[in-house]
Amino acid sequence: MSSKLAGGFSFDNHVRNAALQQKGLTLPKAVKTGTTIAGVIFKDGIVLGADTRATEGPIVADKNCEKIHYLAPNMYCCGAGTAADTEFTTALIASQLELHRLTTGRESRAVTAMTMLKQMLFKYQGHIGAALVLGGYDCTGPQLFTIYPHGSTDKLPYVTMGSGSLAAMAVFEAGWKRDMERQEAIDLVRAAIESGIFNDLGSGSNVDICVIEKGKHEMLRNYARPNERGQKERSYRFARGTTDVLQTSVRSLVTVVEGDQMDTSS
Amino acid sequence: MTTVLKAGEVDLGTTIMAVEFAGGVVVAADSRTTTGAYIANRVTDKLTKVHDRIYCCRSGSAADTQAVADIVHYYLQLYSVQHDEAPTTRVAASLFQELCYKNKDNLSAGIIVAGWDAQHGGQVYGIPLGGSLHRQPFAIGGSGSTYIYGYCDSAYRENMSRDECVEFAKNAVALAMARDGSSGGVIRLAVITEGGVERLFVAGSDLPRK
Amino acid sequence: MSAIGTGYDLSASTYSPDGRIFQVEYATKAVENSGTAIGLRCKDGVVLAVEKLVQSKLMVPGSNRRILAVDRHSGMAIAGLLADGRHVIKRARDEAENYRDIYRVPIPGKMLTDRIGQYVSMHTLYSSVRPFGSALLIGAVDTHGPQLFLVEPSGVYWGYAGCAIGKGKQVAKAEIEKLKLDELTVAEGVKEAARIIYAAHDENKDREFQLEMSWIPVANGGRHQPVPPEIQAEAEQYAKDALLGDEMEDDDDDM
Repeated sequence: MSSKLAGGFSFDNHVRNAALQQKGLTLPKAVKTGTTIAGVIFKDGIVLGADTRATEGPIVADKNCEKIHYLAPNMYCCGAGTAADTEFTTALIASQLELHRLTTGRESRAVTAMTMLKQMLFKYQGHIGAALVLGGYDCTGPQLFTIYPHGSTDKLPYVTMGSGSLAAMAVFEAGWKRDMERQEAIDLVRAAIESGIFNDLGSGSNVDICVIEKGKHEMLRNYARPNERGQKERSYRFARGTTDVLQTSVRSLVTVVEGDQMDTSS
Repeated sequence: MTTVLKAGEVDLGTTIMAVEFAGGVVVAADSRTTTGAYIANRVTDKLTKVHDRIYCCRSGSAADTQAVADIVHYYLQLYSVQHDEAPTTRVAASLFQELCYKNKDNLSAGIIVAGWDAQHGGQVYGIPLGGSLHRQPFAIGGSGSTYIYGYCDSAYRENMSRDECVEFAKNAVALAMARDGSSGGVIRLAVITEGGVERLFVAGSDLPRK
Repeated sequence: MSAIGTGYDLSASTYSPDGRIFQVEYATKAVENSGTAIGLRCKDGVVLAVEKLVQSKLMVPGSNRRILAVDRHSGMAIAGLLADGRHVIKRARDEAENYRDIYRVPIPGKMLTDRIGQYVSMHTLYSSVRPFGSALLIGAVDTHGPQLFLVEPSGVYWGYAGCAIGKGKQVAKAEIEKLKLDELTVAEGVKEAARIIYAAHDENKDREFQLEMSWIPVANGGRHQPVPPEIQAEAEQYAKDALLGDEMEDDDDDM
């Protein structure tokens, strides 16, 4: 390293990092969450579903996180991939959609959100690791999209994403029907997410569901809790008085001296 | 065609084609979209409308080709407002080519542009990976096309009718889907003429030449 | 024009109280003092013709051209200040090239004129610039056939079947109106254009002039080019004969 300060950039750290890497040190990676998210269109709306496990490598970081993000009153978005990226991209687009609604005076449309998301993700060439399932009900009816980190989109009647997408899709391919009733659709999405929770290492804990219909939505947080901890047969708690008190000593460490009373007359 | 994709990118390992006939064009594509070994979408529509009578067939990266098609769609809407008339297929193809050539280092997009306009009738343009532009009587593209060059050269005849072109496209795409692992699903077609666009569909269970 | 001294004519960005922009009107005056320029939109092409007033006998014939090419298929004629006109034509050439780069087809006459109109108009909106002291005739052949436009110093433009601008525009307009332009061929148009420029020329005020002509015949693939010398000579002869004929007729009337 040069001892004297000179103008321009310093690439010393790059050289150091390259040397460390060559010696076998792995560079830190962004946190990616194994996830199962899914969505279906039913007769008069959309059902979105997600598991609630967040992971940091092999460690479960949060056992009951929220993966269904708000975009607009008539639109919600499930996120898989890099946790921070899904959180911030959906928040950013939600903000832009709100401003858009204020300027246009109209309800947001799902294609608008989808286009904004895909254009942002495409601009970042996949470096923003957000894989999304977007569901909404607008003037064109129920809408469902998937958006990949590189910015490609698909429009389908039933979709899954994340590491548990294969397990969830298997359930959809077996059980999906056209024009399902509301409860039928919720049951199917629940089954799909549970399939991810049970069969995919990256997914786990509970099932969150969000139902979007014309003019209303319902967020069913922890709709299913298939991993509730059971009652333990025995308690490890020690009974009161288990430990004998052999000796007691109380010491006075501070001496309190009374002072003059404060003058509060004026 | 070899496409170099970024890790985890969605690929349109694809068979696409377009054929000119007297009064218009036929465009056709399979429907498979893959991420690695997983089929992300088995009913994809790779035929994208960029103007009333101009379509593009997309192959390569799904993200790249969607982005390029969206930009051209925007330019053509602007064009038709400014000029107060529909753009020609040639103009659409030029816009695609400009984008594909100028950004060739960052794109993996093999595109076929086809359409009908009052000036030139039905036209087909191929824009392969490097961003060159080729006017062709018919064009094939995507990973599946390598399997059907021979078939297409042998089965193609000049001055085919609309229906003959549809049959030609169906057979060619079906053959490619049968041999190419990354092509499959259903066949989607569109017939573009002065009268408008007619969309056709062949289910995976009704494919010819099984 | 009673603007002098009022202060309302000092800038193109100032209106007079009755809503006029004097700087633009002065620019129009500069055009009206120039040699006549006419354009004819014939059934199979466009003809442009300019009466180029020659200031000095020492000037090389063919110099200071007032009709210039913009693209393969379009040309422009300048009436008014030559330097301003050439500047606008440079812009037109850039616009034509830019359009070609994007769409790979020649720029349609309407689009070229619209872009030039906007450019000229921009020079009437700022106090830091002077409006162009020239009007421009734009001739083009595109997919819609022969096209003729006139852009005025205000930036306003119209499409014409035939139009005239400059000193002799009254005479020229009267003559153009007599023509059946949708039946006329460019070959005939060139002759008529020459005749009209000669007729509009005022020998008492301006002695010397050169006739400058270009055409864009559809038959020739819509290429803009100067009228070939032999055809131009023929047209000028036709013009001179017609002029002589008119004088004889006038003589007859006197008898």
